[in-house]
Amino acid sequence: MMGYFVRRLLYAIPILLGVNVLTFALFFLVNTPDDMARMQLGERRLTPAAIEQWKVDHGYHRPVFWNAAQTGVTQLTDTLFFDSSTRLFRFDFGKSDAGRDINADIAERMGPSLVIAVPVLLVGLACALTWSLAIAWLAGTRLDFWSGVLCVAMMSISGLFYIIGGQWLLAKLWHLAPISGYADGLASLRFILLPVVVSVLASLGGSVRWYRALFLEELGKDYVRMARAKGLSDARVMFGHVFRNALIPILTGVVVLIPSLFLGALITEAFFAIPGLGSYTIEALQAQDFAVVRAMVFLGSLLYVAGLMLTDLSYLIADPRVRLE
Amino acid sequence: MSDRLLQIDQLSVHIGDQPVIENLSLKLKRGETLVLAGESGSGKSLTALSIARLLPAAAQVRAGQITLGDTALFPLTEREMTKVRGARIGYIFQEPQLALNPVMTVGDQIGEVLACHLKLRGKARQQRVIGALAAVGIPDPERRAGEYPHQFSGGMKQRVMIAIALAGEPELLIADEPTTALDVTVQAQVLALLKAEQQRRGMGMLFITHDLGVAWQVADHLAVMQAGRVVENAPRDRFYAAPEHPYSRTLFAALPKLEPQAHTAPVVHDQPLLEVRNLAIHFPIRRGLLKRTVASVKAVNGVSFTLQAGETLAVVGESGSGKTTMGRGILRLLDLTDGQVLHRGDDLRQLSSEALRIRRRELQMIFQDPFAAMNPRMLVNEILQEGMLAQGIGGSAAQRDARVRELLVQVGLKAEHALRYPHEFSGGQRQRLCIARALAVEPRMVVCDEPTSALDVSVQAQILELLEELQQRLGIAYLFITHNLGVVARIAHRVAVMHQGVIVEQGPVNDVLFAPRHPYTQALLAAVPRIEA
Amino acid sequence: MPIPLLLLSDLAAWLLFGVALAYAFTASRREHLRAPWRRVRQQPVAMVAAVILLAHVGITLLDSLHFAPQAANGTEAEPEPLSVLDFVLTPLRTGVETSYSAPFALLGFDRESVLQADGRVVREYPRLRYGGAHLRDPAQRGADILQRGALGAAAGALAGLLLLRLLWPAQCRPWRRRNDDPAGRAAALTLLVLCVLAGLGGALATRYHVFGTDKVGMDVLYQSIKSVRTGLLIGTLTTLVTLPFALVLGVAAGYYRGLVDDLVQYLYTTLASIPGVLLVAASALLLDGLMTRHEDAFSSLIVRADLRLLALCVILGITSWTGLCRLLRAEALKLRESDFVRAAEALGVRGPRILWRHLLPNVMHIVIIATVLDFSGLVLAEAALTYINIGVDPGMESWGNMINAARMELARQPAVWWSLSAAMLWMFVLVLAANLFADAVREAFDPRTREATPSARPAGT
Repeated sequence: MMGYFVRRLLYAIPILLGVNVLTFALFFLVNTPDDMARMQLGERRLTPAAIEQWKVDHGYHRPVFWNAAQTGVTQLTDTLFFDSSTRLFRFDFGKSDAGRDINADIAERMGPSLVIAVPVLLVGLACALTWSLAIAWLAGTRLDFWSGVLCVAMMSISGLFYIIGGQWLLAKLWHLAPISGYADGLASLRFILLPVVVSVLASLGGSVRWYRALFLEELGKDYVRMARAKGLSDARVMFGHVFRNALIPILTGVVVLIPSLFLGALITEAFFAIPGLGSYTIEALQAQDFAVVRAMVFLGSLLYVAGLMLTDLSYLIADPRVRLE
Repeated sequence: MSDRLLQIDQLSVHIGDQPVIENLSLKLKRGETLVLAGESGSGKSLTALSIARLLPAAAQVRAGQITLGDTALFPLTEREMTKVRGARIGYIFQEPQLALNPVMTVGDQIGEVLACHLKLRGKARQQRVIGALAAVGIPDPERRAGEYPHQFSGGMKQRVMIAIALAGEPELLIADEPTTALDVTVQAQVLALLKAEQQRRGMGMLFITHDLGVAWQVADHLAVMQAGRVVENAPRDRFYAAPEHPYSRTLFAALPKLEPQAHTAPVVHDQPLLEVRNLAIHFPIRRGLLKRTVASVKAVNGVSFTLQAGETLAVVGESGSGKTTMGRGILRLLDLTDGQVLHRGDDLRQLSSEALRIRRRELQMIFQDPFAAMNPRMLVNEILQEGMLAQGIGGSAAQRDARVRELLVQVGLKAEHALRYPHEFSGGQRQRLCIARALAVEPRMVVCDEPTSALDVSVQAQILELLEELQQRLGIAYLFITHNLGVVARIAHRVAVMHQGVIVEQGPVNDVLFAPRHPYTQALLAAVPRIEA
Repeated sequence: MPIPLLLLSDLAAWLLFGVALAYAFTASRREHLRAPWRRVRQQPVAMVAAVILLAHVGITLLDSLHFAPQAANGTEAEPEPLSVLDFVLTPLRTGVETSYSAPFALLGFDRESVLQADGRVVREYPRLRYGGAHLRDPAQRGADILQRGALGAAAGALAGLLLLRLLWPAQCRPWRRRNDDPAGRAAALTLLVLCVLAGLGGALATRYHVFGTDKVGMDVLYQSIKSVRTGLLIGTLTTLVTLPFALVLGVAAGYYRGLVDDLVQYLYTTLASIPGVLLVAASALLLDGLMTRHEDAFSSLIVRADLRLLALCVILGITSWTGLCRLLRAEALKLRESDFVRAAEALGVRGPRILWRHLLPNVMHIVIIATVLDFSGLVLAEAALTYINIGVDPGMESWGNMINAARMELARQPAVWWSLSAAMLWMFVLVLAANLFADAVREAFDPRTREATPSARPAGT
C-alpha cells in the first residue's frame, strides 16, 4: 500500500518534468525572450539596454536547455529550464513577468475559485444523483423517455448560452442576483448564486445520462436478480445493492476532479468577473505572462496527478475487491 | 395440507413473438426433488425464473398458472410476491461469482434475508448468520461472515449462496445449475450438501442441470425439456432404466461414459514427436517500491511426458491445476521458466523466433470457447487462409480457395460456408471451423484445450467423433486437455493427471482410470457423478 | 474567368469527405460493418438527425470550393477569394447595411442624421438600403412577407418532392401513414421540411434580412450559414488529427506492452495532466505571435484565417487524443489475450499483421463511437474557445465570433438579440442532431448495449 503510493509519487516527477519541458519548448520555440521583453516593456521604453536589463531581471538572459558556455554538469544546470524547474518543484513560483509575486497572487485568488467550484461540484452531484436514480427506477417508462430527451437537449446547448441566458434572465430580468462581480466574506453569497446555478445546469444533462447508464448497467447484473430472489423490496434492492455498486465509478469520477477545483473554471470566472485562479490564468495568457502560465500549468499537472492518486485511494476505500500493489 | 408443493399448469412464455416455453405443466411434491434436464436454450432456467416471477423484462408470461402450496403466484401483487421470494422459495443461481454482491460482506448478504423475512435484529441475527454459514460447511464462520465474496473460492461462494437461499427456511428450493461452474470434487461436495439439507428440512427442490450424471445423484423425478416443452417426465429409476422419448435417448447415447474402451495403441517410434522435460512456468508476483519479484505462482512446476505421432495424450485436472498454462507453454504462446520442449528433437526454446514461427505450422491449437476463438470481423475464407498465408503455403489464391472448400467438407461443413462470418454458425459448427483452421497448415500435433466443454452433450459427441476420425486419417497427435473424465475414456490412449502444477500420475488410459494408484486420481474418479442403473 | 483556388482546409474537407465515402463503400461490402449501420438506419430519430447532418455537410462542401473572382475594373485591391456558397448567397453577402437592424426590419436600429429633400437634417431611423427596399409603402410588409413566404415554401416543397421522386422513389409520398419503413419516412419528411425551409429562406432572404444584421450591417443569416463550415470542420478535422496518435499508440501499447507501453503511458499521462484549455490557449497565443511576425507571408485574410483554423484543429487534436488512446490501449490489452489472437500467433502470423488484421478491426467500433461523440463537444468548444480569444480567427465567420460580438449588445435597450439567438439556435440544432445521431451509433456499435435494457422492476406477468 505505502509502497504503491510512494511509487506513484515518484512517478509524478518524470511527468511534471515532461510537462515543464513541453511548456518551455512551446513558448521558446516561437517566442524569444526579446519578444517577451518587448511585450512587457511596451513601446515607449523600448531600448536594447532596457530589453537586456529586463531579461536579466527575469532570468531570461540564460540559455533555455543547454548552456554551451559552461562546462560539465553546469551545462545543464546553469540554464533557464533547470533553474525554473527546480524552483517550481520547491513551489517557489517567483515573480511574474509583469513583476508581481505569483505565490501571493495564487494564495489570494484560490479562495474565490473554491467558493464557486465546491458548491458547483456538490450541488451538481446531488442534483445529478437524485435525478438519475429516480429515472433509473422508472427505466423504460414514458417519463424515462422524456427525461432522456431533456438531457440530450440540455447537453446540446452551448455553455455560453447558459451563462448569457442566466445573466439575462436571473440578473437583468428578474433582478435575483448581480450580473457579475465578487465580494469577500458573506457578501459573496449574492455573487455566487448565479455562477453556481449556471454551471450546475450546464453539466447536468451529461451527468444524469452517464449516471443513469451506470445504474442500469448494475441493474442488469446477476446479483440484482439474486437480491430480488431473496424477497427484498424494490427500494432495498435499489439502495442496498445497486446504488452502492454504481456509486463506485461515480465517486471515483468525482474524486479525480477534486484537486483541480483549486484552479477554478476558466470561462465561468471570466464571464462572472470572479477574481479566482481561472480568470488569473486567462489574464496571464492574454498578457503573455509566461511565468504565470508556467506556474499554473505546473500546478494543474500536479493537481491532476494528485487527483489520480486520490482516485486510487477512493477505489481502495469504496471497493473491497481492490488492492493496490 | 396436501403433499403437493408446486404445480405449474399450461405455462407459456414468449420473448417478443417467439415462444420459449410452451404449454408446460409440472408437479412437485413436498420433500421431493424434481430435476429439469435439457440442453442450453431448452427453457429450463426460464421455467424456474417464472416460478419466482423473476423473468427478464423481455420475456412475457402469455398463459398458464403456477401454484405454490395453496397460493396461486401470478395473481399476487409485487409486494405480496416479495414475501414469497426468499421466505417460501429459495433460489440458487449458476454463477456464484456473479450472483453475490461484490461490495457487501457475506454475513450482511445472509442477514438481509433474516431481517427481511424473520425480522431478526442485532445479535440474534448475527448468531443465525454464523449458524447458517456453519451449516453449509464453511470453516471459521465468525470470521468469514465479515469477509467479502472475492475472498471465497468458487465452491465456498456456492456454499454461501446455498446459505442465503436456505436462510429464509423456504418450502421450495430452486437450484439452477448450481454445480456447473465448479470442479468435479467440489461438485460432489455441494451436491451432497444440497441433498442433505433438502432431506433434513423436508423441502421440495427443483434442480436444473444439463448433466444426466448429476441428475441421477439428486433426482426423485426427472423432466426432460427440449425447445420449451417437457418431452419426458418420469420417476428417476424408470427414466434411467428405459428412457422413452427419442430425444432422451439421444442425450443418453451422447453421454461420455466412464468405461474401459479398446484403443489401438499407436506405433512407438524411437524419437517421440514431442518430449517435454521438467517444464516449469512461473508467474512472478511483484511487490513493493521497486516491483521486485517476491514470490511466484508456480502454475506448472516440473512436468515431463512424451507424445508419440498419432497418439492422444489426455491431460486431466481441475481448474487451477496448470493444464491450460502447460498447453500454451508447450506451443510457446507464453514464456517458459525452465525445462525443455523437444519437438522432433529440437528444443523449441532454443529456436530463433523466425525458426519457431515456421515450426508453428506443425503445432496447432484448438480452444475451449469457439465463440471467442475466431475474429468476428473476418470471413471464414480469410480465417482458414490466414495460416497458409503466414506460412507461405497453399499456392495461388485459387488453390488456397480450393483448399478452404476441401477443408470445410473435411470437417463436415459445406464448401459454400467459406463466404460467411463466424457469428452465422452454431457452437458446434464453429468448433469445426476452428479445427479446419488448425488443419489448414497440416499440423502433426494439435493441443486441444477443452474443445468440447462449452458445447452441449449431443454436439460434444460429434466433435469427438470428428477428432478421432481426423486422427485416424491424418495421423495427428493430440494433447487433449480436459476436466471431463468421460471424454478421456473415450478419446485418449494415455492419460496424465495434473494437480497443482505437477503430473501426479500418468499411464495408459485404462490403467489410470480403472486402477488409479495416486490418491488424488482416486478422489477425482470417486467424485465423478455416475449413473448406477 | 474565376480561377479555382484550393485552401488547405478545403483540401482537408474534401479529403475527409473522400475518406468517409471510401469507408461507406467498404462498409457496404462487409456484412459485419454494415450490420450496425443497418441498426442505425432503422431508427427514425437517427435518420432525422442524419438528414440534418448531411445538409450541413452539403453546405460545408459547397463552402469548400473557393475561387478567386476577377478584380472588378478600376479597383486596385485584389479581391478576397470566394466560395461557391458565397456565390450562391450573393444577395445576402452583398446586401450590407450600415449597422444593426432587426429581423425583417425596414428601418435601421439606430437613429441617423438624414438629409431631407428640403435641406434639413433630421435624426430619424433610416430606411435600410436593402432590407425591404423594394417596398414603396412600409405597410405592405406583412402581406409581402406572407406572399413571398408562401411562394417560396411552395417552390421548396415542389423541389423537395421532385428530389425525392428522382432519388428515392420508395419514399416519394412520405406523409402517408401506412409505411413499412418508418425511419425512411422520417428521413424523407425531414428532407421535405428542409427543402421548404430553404425555399422559404431563399424567397425571403433576397428581399429582407431574415435574421437581421449585425454591427457592421452584415446579414446574420449569411453569417450563420458561413459558420456551418467552421463548426463542422473543427468537429471533424480535430478527430482526424486525433485518430493516428490514438490508434497507433494505443493499440501498439496494448499489444506489445513492455517498454512501448511504458512510453505511451508516460506520454499520455503527461499530456493529459496539462489542463487542456491552458495547452490550447498557450499554443493559440504562440501561433498568434508567429503569424503577426510573419504578416507578409499570407496573401489574404482568408488564407490567414484558414491557417489559424487548421492550427486550432491540430492543437485541439493533440490535446484530446489521450482519452481515446487510453480506451484503445485497454481494449488492445484485452484483445491480445483473446483466443483468436492466440490462434493467429499459433499459426505463425507476424506481429504487425496481427495488429492490422485482428486488433484494428476489433477496436474500430470504439473509434467510430468516439468520433461521433466528440463531434458535438468540439462544435461547442469552438464557441467557448473563440469567446476567450483562443479559438478561430476573429475575421472568420463562426458561431463563437457571432456570440462574442453580440454578447455585449444584450445590455442595450431594446436588446440586440437576433445575432446571438441565431448563432445559439443554429448551433443547438446541429449539436442536437449530432448528439441524437451519436446515441444511435453508440447503441448500434457497442456490443454491451446489444442486449435488452434491464428494468428496475421485474417484468409484469
